[in-house]
Amino acid sequence: MTPAPLVLNGLVVGAMLFALGLVGILARRNLIVMFLSAELMLQGVSVSLVSWSRHHGDWGGHVLVIFVLTVAACEAALALVFVLQAFARTGRLDAAAWQSLRESVLPRVVDRELPASDAAVMVFPRLTPAGVEPEHDPDAALEREHV
Amino acid sequence: MSPDGGLSSTGSLLAVAVGCAAASLWLLLPRGEGGLRERAASRFGMLLGAVALALFVATGRRLGGVGEEAVFLIVALVAVIGGAATVVTRSPVYSAIWFALALAGVAGVLLVLGAQFLGVATIVVYAGAILVMFLFVLMLAQPTGMASYDRVSNEPLLSAVAGAVLLGLLTLFIGRLSAGPDECCAVPSRAAALAGGTPRPPVAPEPPADSAGRDPLAENHVARLGGELFGRHLLAVEAAGVLLLVALIGSIAIVSRTPPDEPADAAAWRAGA
Repeated sequence: MTPAPLVLNGLVVGAMLFALGLVGILARRNLIVMFLSAELMLQGVSVSLVSWSRHHGDWGGHVLVIFVLTVAACEAALALVFVLQAFARTGRLDAAAWQSLRESVLPRVVDRELPASDAAVMVFPRLTPAGVEPEHDPDAALEREHV
Repeated sequence: MSPDGGLSSTGSLLAVAVGCAAASLWLLLPRGEGGLRERAASRFGMLLGAVALALFVATGRRLGGVGEEAVFLIVALVAVIGGAATVVTRSPVYSAIWFALALAGVAGVLLVLGAQFLGVATIVVYAGAILVMFLFVLMLAQPTGMASYDRVSNEPLLSAVAGAVLLGLLTLFIGRLSAGPDECCAVPSRAAALAGGTPRPPVAPEPPADSAGRDPLAENHVARLGGELFGRHLLAVEAAGVLLLVALIGSIAIVSRTPPDEPADAAAWRAGA
């Protein structure tokens, strides 16, 4: 039985999401973006499962997707705890900060000097000063200006 | 009209689309260039990505009505563009927000495919709970400014090629599914006939007789999904509950431990090596 056109299109969308998640896992170095890519792969698998469920006319794919959701929630909780611990130890969300875990035959990742990023330059509007300048709180300068 | 010619032209279009997608991902992934070159590369990458998406849309199967086709096209494009932007965006906060958009698209695709409960559950569980947890961790852990490891990638060219090869193989297989029963279904039935000795009828071209209770497209969708879940799969539901409890206890146990002394790698990173 040839699958319906809608089923085939759903399978193609699931394949595209899975491939995008694969590229993200392989290429990115931020731990949180890597986990987002893993979740993207899970979404692709969910779309494929529901497509096959529609093709076969039964509930197997739907039930599997519900369990995928459950396992994704557990995985996200545990993974974020590990990410937090990793950040507390190294101060970076960088996968290469843990490269002492790599295979002994692989070369060490060495960061090269990056050119200045123009994304960090912010342009704020200039407002006309009005009223009396308030007293400055010296403690406020010690707080983090950026989360 | 020859079916062979139509199939091969679709195949070559798909090959061009996959190649465009790989080149676009390679151009869009962060490579630590900065400045004018990076902006030009990202413009060109977006252009190539649009070409790839248009080719994928052109090779997709036509659905029944114009309305159905337009709705599926919109939600599928939202899902795929959101997913691509999740992967290539530099800032992890924007990446998480693009992922929320991709989730909205995926929920729309699930709704079009007839999975109403799953579409809503995806929004509630992923966008409502998991994504907010990601954002909490980002707000806790994000250092000031754009980090250097967000601006470079591991092997962007090889990663894009790997993704394109996977996508090409999957679309090739999916295209052969629609080519007819000669190619996709002949081998199992022939094997079954050889094993059984007598030729059997092909396996269930029609839905089974109790399809009114099993067809996900019939009425009372959620009630019958619940019946299936708590009937046939009751033991698996109990196991999933235990899994959630164990994950909860485990994450609390791990996060409440204080980290020991820094490993040598981390000390080297801090020192700027």
